[in-house]
Formats: sequence, C-alpha cells, structure tokens
Amino acid sequence: MNWWCAAQGVPWAWTWRPYPGVWLFIALVAVLHWTVGGGRSVEARRRPWFWVGLALLWVSLDWPLGALGAGYLASIHMVQFVLIALIVPPLLLSGVPRETFERLDASPAGRGVIRPLTHPLVALLLFALVVVVTHWPAVVDGLMATQLGSFALDMAWLGAAMLFWWPVVVPVPARPRFTYPAKVAYLILTTVVMTAPYIFLTFAELPFYATYELAPPVGGLSARVDQRIAGLVMRIGGGAVLWTAAGIVFYRWYRSENAPVG
Amino acid sequence: MRSIHTARAGASARLSAGLSAGLGAAVRLASSVLIGTLLLTACGERSGSARIDSEFRGSALPEPFPAPDFTLLDTDGAEFRFREETAGYLTMLFFGYTHCPDICPVHMANLAAVLGDLLYEQRSRVKVVFVTTDPERDTPAVVREWLDRFDRSFIGLIGDLESVNEIQASFRLPPAVRQEMQSGEHLVGHASQVVAITSDGLVRVFYPSGVRQADWAEDLPRLLEVGR
Repeated sequence: MNWWCAAQGVPWAWTWRPYPGVWLFIALVAVLHWTVGGGRSVEARRRPWFWVGLALLWVSLDWPLGALGAGYLASIHMVQFVLIALIVPPLLLSGVPRETFERLDASPAGRGVIRPLTHPLVALLLFALVVVVTHWPAVVDGLMATQLGSFALDMAWLGAAMLFWWPVVVPVPARPRFTYPAKVAYLILTTVVMTAPYIFLTFAELPFYATYELAPPVGGLSARVDQRIAGLVMRIGGGAVLWTAAGIVFYRWYRSENAPVG
Repeated sequence: MRSIHTARAGASARLSAGLSAGLGAAVRLASSVLIGTLLLTACGERSGSARIDSEFRGSALPEPFPAPDFTLLDTDGAEFRFREETAGYLTMLFFGYTHCPDICPVHMANLAAVLGDLLYEQRSRVKVVFVTTDPERDTPAVVREWLDRFDRSFIGLIGDLESVNEIQASFRLPPAVRQEMQSGEHLVGHASQVVAITSDGLVRVFYPSGVRQADWAEDLPRLLEVGR
C-alpha cells in the first residue's frame, strides 16, 4: 500500500486506492486547528473558511486527483498546484482567529521565524523560488518518482504558499507600510512570477516532464496537449485566483477610504 | 553516455521462460539472450536501462546487420513483403499489441508526434511498421483503428504468434510471452524497443522504452542521413 501519491508507472485505473498518509496529514491539521489553533473560538462567519480549505487540500492530495497529478497528467499536477498554493492557504488562514496569530507572534518562534519569513519581500521571493524550482523538469521527474519526493513537493508548495498569503490575509504582525495598494501590487506581481512556467509549458515544442510524457496514457490525451493544458491552468486558473484576490483587497481599500467618519 | 532504461530481474526471468518455451535455432536463441536480456520489458512494468551510444540516443549496434526479410498480412489483408516494401526508407519496426496499457501507446504516440514535426521531404522517407504480438485479439480492423489514433500512415502487420516470434528472433529480439491475468484477460510480455532500419537496409539502433520525444527529434534526422 502507498501512503502518498507518487508516479508508479502502472496503467491508470478508475479504481479507488487508499493513501493513509494523506488522511493522517489532513486529520493532523484538523486536530491542531481545533485544539491549539483556536478553531472553536473563531467567529461563526469565518469558521467555514478553514474547513473548506482543508476539504480542498484533501481533494487535491488524495485519489484520484493526487494520483493522476503525481504520475499521469501534467495538467492535473497543475490543478493541484493552483489548489494547494493559491486557493487552500488563504482559506485556511482566514479561518483561524486573530488571537491565535497574536499568541503565535508573541512566542519566540513567532518573533524569530514567522515574522521574518512572512515579511512581504521575503515571502514573495521564497514563493517565486519554490514555484520556479518545483516546476523545473529535473526536480519534478526526480521528486514524483517516490512517495517521499512527492510529499516533499506538496509540502513545499503548501509551506511557501502559506508564507506568501500570510501578509495579505493575516493582520498579525501589523505591517503599516504594507498598505492595500501594496497588497494589490504584491498579488499582481505574483502573476508575473507565474508567467515563466506558463510560457515554457504552453509554448514548448517538446514535452518537458519525462514523468508525464512516458506515463501510461490516460483518456487519449497526448503528452503535448496535456502540457499545454497545464500551462493554461497555471495562467488562467492561477491568474484568476490572484486577480480575484487583488480585486477583494481593492474593494476593501475602497471601503476603508469611504467609511463614514465618527 | 546516459541511461534511460533499467531492466528488471522479472524481465529476465520471463525472457528465460519464453526462450525455453521455444525458439528453434540455437544461434537465434543466443542472440536473443544477448540483446533481449538487456531490453525485454513486459507491458505493465516500468522501464529499465540500456546503453546509449554517443552518436545516437538509442542503443546503436556496434555492427549493424541486414534487416531480415519476412512476409505478413497488412490491415487490408494484403501481403506485405518487408524488405521490398521498406527498401530505401528509414523504417521504425515495433512489435507490440493494441491492448498494451503503457509502452506501446507511448512509443507510438511519441513517434507520431515527432514525425509530425519533420519536413515533408523527411517525413515521406520514413515508414513505421507495427507487428502485433497478440493476434488473438488484434484483428486487422482492431490494429487499423488503433494505429489511426496515432498516424494513418503507420503500417500494421498481423501473423500467427509463432511466425511473429521467429521474426523477432531474426531481429535479435526476445519472443513475446503471453501472461494470463486473474480477470481472465491476458497481457503480452514483449520486446519494448523500436528497431531502426536505415535506408540501406541495415538494422542500426534499438530504442527501448523510456525514449523521449526529444530523443526521437534528435535521432530521426540523423538516421535519415545514414545509409543514403
């Protein structure tokens, strides 16, 4: 039995397979949120966000999406990226109460590690680095071949993305200079970062990833078409998420500017 | 030199079983063992490793040999005399089957994709010949329909398994071995490589599973120049 989705080289079958490592990871996040994360005390309006985020994380890591993305289709691998790196983190962070972040920020780990890593410039550079490195063909082919490698890649996406979204979503620590317009620029700049993988995936003449090119075929999709779809998912899906987030920030900025005084 | 194909122990075991089951000539057996031990991979398994020549990305033979002649029926039911029909062409010969879940469709799809990138003048000098190792299920219509998914110009040949295995042996390939499954279906363990026969009629390079489109894109123009 496999504990995490990885490229197996066996023909694809629409037969359910268990991945206990994924269940354990999702359960661990849920328990941590409910016990030490203050999940019980979050205001009712924001409570569902965390659980929607966790459900999407589960869907993206488990069968069939996780298995297809790990070893069969680059396009599904990219759907996973959009979910894990762009949609799940802001939902998870939105569902955690402010007091939890304040408590964390006051701790030595918060001051020594989380504060510097969630500085917008550091977070953006880290995220850009992870995006570029984890889409590099040799890295993808090397990591997806083993469960540990596949797990490392998923965690790299999730970890870097949590840091990236932190300054946009989390109000702690207070960063007065990271204003609404700066947040909008931060998000739009990220769409530029993601243009590089989009270009080489969509316009390449030959398949980049041996994992997907040599995988047992699924659904009659050729390796080249699959790769182009992957690029478009990155561009359109990822772009849509970031522009939507930028729009929400802009709307909040507009509201704050036009809020009645006194 | 780099490795793209690692043979598993199981592949060698199947090869031994297949060999003992029966190829006629001892010389053929010996040559099949020599190359087949390196290259046999059953469908449904991951690929292994073969030597990559510096001139080609596939495994180039140190001493190319004349392509053996044989005759089988094509998907129209007409006789296909291999040497006569392929004389003067770069011929990519592959033994596989249409129910193959992994190696065969990947080889065919990757070859078709790169052939589509060649100039018309180059493309018109290449023939792809697919010989089924599963004549029980691969009727002419089934083979034709399957090949048309990749390229309508691909040639499909059908013959009884004994004849096909003799042909494979003459190309120094191991025989196809039927593997029964619990479901009642069967797989066919077969040679995983595409044989490149240049326009001068010599077998020059073997391309194992794991060959990528980038490899074909590099080698096909070179193969077209060899033997001109």
